[in-house]
Amino acid sequence: MAITTFAAIDVGSYELQMKIYEISQKNKIVMIDHLRHVIELGKDTYKDGKVSFENIDELCGVLKKFTCTMEEYKVKSYVAYATSAIREAENADIILDRIRVSTGLEVKILSNSEQRFLCYKALAAQEDEFDEYIKDSTAIVDVGAGSIQISLFDKGALVTTQNIKLGSLRIRELLYNISNSRQHFDRLIEELVNNDIQTFKRMFLKDKTIKNIIAIGEYVVYFARKGVDNHLKTFMDRKQFMERFDSLNSKSPEQISDKLGITGEQASLLIPCAFVYKRFIQETDTQNIWIPGVDLCDGIVAEYAMMTKKLAFRHDFQEDIVGTARIIAKRYKANLEHTAILENNVINIFDAMKKYHGLGKRERLLLQISAILHDCGKYISMSSPAECSYNIIMSTEIIGLSHKEREMVANIVKYNTMDLPENRDDGMYLTVVKLVAMLRVANAMDRSHRQKFKDFKTKFSDGKLILTTTTSEDITLEKGLFESKTELFEEIYGIKPVLRQARMLK
Amino acid sequence: MADINFEAPEYYTNRELSWLDFNYRILGEARDKENKLFERLKFLSITASNLDEFYMVRVASLKDMVHAGYKKTDISGMTPQEQLTAINRRVHEFVGLQYSTYNRSLVPMLLQSGLNIISSFKDMNKEQEKFADAYFENEVYPVLTPMAVDSSRPFPLIRNKTLNIAALMKRKNSDGDELEFATVQVPSVLPRFVKLPDNDGKTCLILLEQIIQKNIDKLFLNYDVICSYPYRIMRNADFSIEEEESADLMKEIKKQLKKRQWGEVIRLETEEKIDKRLLKILKKELHIKEEDIFKINGPLDLTFLMKMYGIDGFSKYKDKKYIPQPVPGMNSEEDIFTQISKGDILLHHPYVTFDPVVDFIKQASRDENVLAIKQTLYRVSGNSPIIASLAEAAENGKQVTVLVELKARFDEENNIIWAQKLEKAGCHVIYGLLGLKTHSKITLVVRREEDGIKRYVHLGTGNYNDATAKLYTDMGMFTCNRAIGEDATAVFNMISGYSEPPSWNKLSLAPYWLRDKFLHLIRREIKYAKEGKEAFIVAKMNSLCDRKIIAALYEASAAGVKIDLIVRGICCLRTGIPGVSENITVRSIVGMFLEHSRIFYFHNNGNEEVYMGSADWMPRNLNKRVEILFPVMDEKLKEEVIHILDIQLADNVKAQVMDNEGKYSRLDRRGRKKVCAQEYFCNEAQQRAKEEEKIRNDRIFTPMENSESV
Repeated sequence: MAITTFAAIDVGSYELQMKIYEISQKNKIVMIDHLRHVIELGKDTYKDGKVSFENIDELCGVLKKFTCTMEEYKVKSYVAYATSAIREAENADIILDRIRVSTGLEVKILSNSEQRFLCYKALAAQEDEFDEYIKDSTAIVDVGAGSIQISLFDKGALVTTQNIKLGSLRIRELLYNISNSRQHFDRLIEELVNNDIQTFKRMFLKDKTIKNIIAIGEYVVYFARKGVDNHLKTFMDRKQFMERFDSLNSKSPEQISDKLGITGEQASLLIPCAFVYKRFIQETDTQNIWIPGVDLCDGIVAEYAMMTKKLAFRHDFQEDIVGTARIIAKRYKANLEHTAILENNVINIFDAMKKYHGLGKRERLLLQISAILHDCGKYISMSSPAECSYNIIMSTEIIGLSHKEREMVANIVKYNTMDLPENRDDGMYLTVVKLVAMLRVANAMDRSHRQKFKDFKTKFSDGKLILTTTTSEDITLEKGLFESKTELFEEIYGIKPVLRQARMLK
Repeated sequence: MADINFEAPEYYTNRELSWLDFNYRILGEARDKENKLFERLKFLSITASNLDEFYMVRVASLKDMVHAGYKKTDISGMTPQEQLTAINRRVHEFVGLQYSTYNRSLVPMLLQSGLNIISSFKDMNKEQEKFADAYFENEVYPVLTPMAVDSSRPFPLIRNKTLNIAALMKRKNSDGDELEFATVQVPSVLPRFVKLPDNDGKTCLILLEQIIQKNIDKLFLNYDVICSYPYRIMRNADFSIEEEESADLMKEIKKQLKKRQWGEVIRLETEEKIDKRLLKILKKELHIKEEDIFKINGPLDLTFLMKMYGIDGFSKYKDKKYIPQPVPGMNSEEDIFTQISKGDILLHHPYVTFDPVVDFIKQASRDENVLAIKQTLYRVSGNSPIIASLAEAAENGKQVTVLVELKARFDEENNIIWAQKLEKAGCHVIYGLLGLKTHSKITLVVRREEDGIKRYVHLGTGNYNDATAKLYTDMGMFTCNRAIGEDATAVFNMISGYSEPPSWNKLSLAPYWLRDKFLHLIRREIKYAKEGKEAFIVAKMNSLCDRKIIAALYEASAAGVKIDLIVRGICCLRTGIPGVSENITVRSIVGMFLEHSRIFYFHNNGNEEVYMGSADWMPRNLNKRVEILFPVMDEKLKEEVIHILDIQLADNVKAQVMDNEGKYSRLDRRGRKKVCAQEYFCNEAQQRAKEEEKIRNDRIFTPMENSESV
């Protein structure tokens, strides 16, 4: 039996962890070891803006020990990600370099949306429960150390995802110094949390109700603990949740740590975390809560198994990304008909040009998203839509895209209509240009926004890409303005796109 | 009912006094005529070495408390001073009984059996005297350091636990009758007793101090020695505060550190007939109180009896050496991993051999599929084959993690040496955990197999020590159960400094979870008892003195749970208190093997649960140690463990039962079949081994060579 031993490392805000997995067709993903080390990198970053030298040393020391364990299991591949504590640290590059030099590990910084997306992959790896849950309106609420992520699913598809910078550690650090009693502390948390949750509700939920919550994140797992016996109760209803909340909230962190068999530190982070869930449940009328206990490492391995084609999962993640993009487009009142045809056209061109551009599936996805979002800026300004689109995309989370990928999308959209800048050595320029070239051509095909090229065929002939439509409408406008939009395409691919109209017999 | 305070001090026995009772029970074995003579010597020797350790650790600690002005009472409501007073009285009685046993029964019986221990050098015959003098000249004299005391030479430092001879002397040719004091240590590098030429066909022995006393003139040539007597002291020195004491005491003592009298003499043993002037000098120089002086009728320091057991001959006065038997169901043909994969394997030492445990590690060190070996080591024998295998494994490229507990009492030096050896071989050695003693006994072997990683675990109640495994009764279990394997990995991750796992599957660990686990198991029985269902607990351990657990047991008893306890040593619980502990029995087994296993059996309304582990029900085990409790899940093994408990409960030879006064006594056997648990297990193991052998032999095909029989 082919077994791959894989290590996933999570350099978190509160904790460093490594999980070792075995991946095989027969047993899917099996965790065989789990190492955790508490180190509050987040505390440094959120307070001082950077990680202290002492903590960097400790971090490297523990990672070094991780490599010994990897050796022990003869791990061949690993993926190591760092999240917000390092992402937001001023000295992030230095930290990563120190790690590289002292341990040989390549740690990559994960953007928030990538991080959350990985957690969804971990969730989706628990296919049966996940599919069942997201049939109804469901929110995945992930309360981390540094922030809260709320993602809404409806009828099996992801609808929206929002990040609120208000995690357990952040709440505790913010309020620790200003609260003077336990009751006071409770009230402060409540106020702090209410504000954000109500904003979220107003903006994204409107009058919708949420039936289920999938609670993930580092601390909520402890909430599920019944006691030192450690039976994880992973499903509970609203009433059970509230009872449990009341029973925990009436105790001091010391009592909680005694009761649940966790450290005082963990207990002190559990309380703010539980508060966030409580408020969310109250605000949205949630009925069921599922605490699956998955974490980033589980997501890393799920992604790895998918990417390397060792395993396949039912849930379509690509569709989630595209779906979120469509919802953003809708929010900014994009011309949905035009967008749909553009999306279709540009994908057709991309697929036809495969031999010439040499790009992969991921770039295809970026192009598709660019098409979907290409005119969202018009919502803000008709006169400078490109700039506005760029800014909207740069400040909107698209779950599943890395920060860099999002920047690429924003640039593709921007240079769809604006002149390209000089070559920049940022590793993405060429890809962006290649994709812009195709987007411009596809966009020119629907200049009138009347979907004349709804069905078209592609053909290469004599150094030309012939795009033939069967429409009976007049395509003079498109044809006339086409030349000016194909220069870039010609320049890059050495192929001239040409529009043709097939004569139909009436 | 509800208003009974189960933690009331009057329901508890002081642990030191209970320990003394235990030593009395061992002394009982030395006095038991049913035991063979040389076995009796051994038991007497054990009482003596036990008492020494008790003084160095427990009495010293109580003295510290008194010096620090610490007045907090113990579990039974006694202040440190009250405890010391009571201990002192009991120990004086005890020593009296030790020596009357020695003088009145053992020495005369030895003489009958052909061994003459010559108690005084004056009783030697001419030939023996000549031999002794020559021995003194050649062997003893060169290593003696006599020390006189006068105005220019202060009283010397007398070393802890050493045997010394004090002498009163008078300068030769001096007019006055001024007496001077001198002392000389009986060298510990020489054997304590010397075999003299036979007399009357009897083997004759004499103690070294007698030979020195006979020749003491030769040490002080310018003096006339008036008299000389052996003496021995015990100091309150070198030992840090016992780990089990509470944190507030530690604070108190730290504060009062200056007041602590380092090296204070806490016990002085002298011969009964010692010269009064000599005693006065010792008393003054050693600053010892009258009550801490033990005047002894016989040789000091009876631990030499253990050595004497080893002298050749007299085999009819010794128990036949028991040879640990092969483990039923195990064979030497298949590799041990295959055998464990067929099902959990139970080991009951010393009745069955410890070899599989040694083999387990040896095979793991050489098996190409093994990735890692992890083990906790507490007390290891010198030249341990386990250490050799671990080192070999590291040399073979396996990841080897070993936790070496350096805090194991009196073993520190020994441990450091081989720990360094392991480190040199490439093992990852962890030298204990800050503030915790690692007492758990667990070995994990990680192996890569067809289906992925598989973990093999050995869990035990006793140390990984192949020498003591022949003398201590302990339980061990091999398993490759997945849940236990995961927990074992988590244990070693914790030991390596990582956070605790989010949850445990099967194992329960001290210091964080174990007491609660036990309390939970006890309360579950209480619940069933209150529902009118059958409820019982059988537990076997070395010591029972945890207040919370005892209170829970009292509560259980009051609720109607039947509780049978098999506690070898200290037991602060009392039986037969109306409304509190009427449903509890306590018995103690003291036999030729040291009872050491810890087994816990809960009825659980018919879904019986059996656990074994490294922890006693003592505060120190539950608070300050890393201990592991593991369940026996295989039904057949569970039955076997319950059978072991049943036999122990049926013991009416070596078992002594606690009565309502807290006194232990043997059972009335009239009309009952004699059951000695240790003997029973020996016979059973031999029997089972024989049957196995027979089955193996039966598998030989019998060729039928006579055609007519076909």
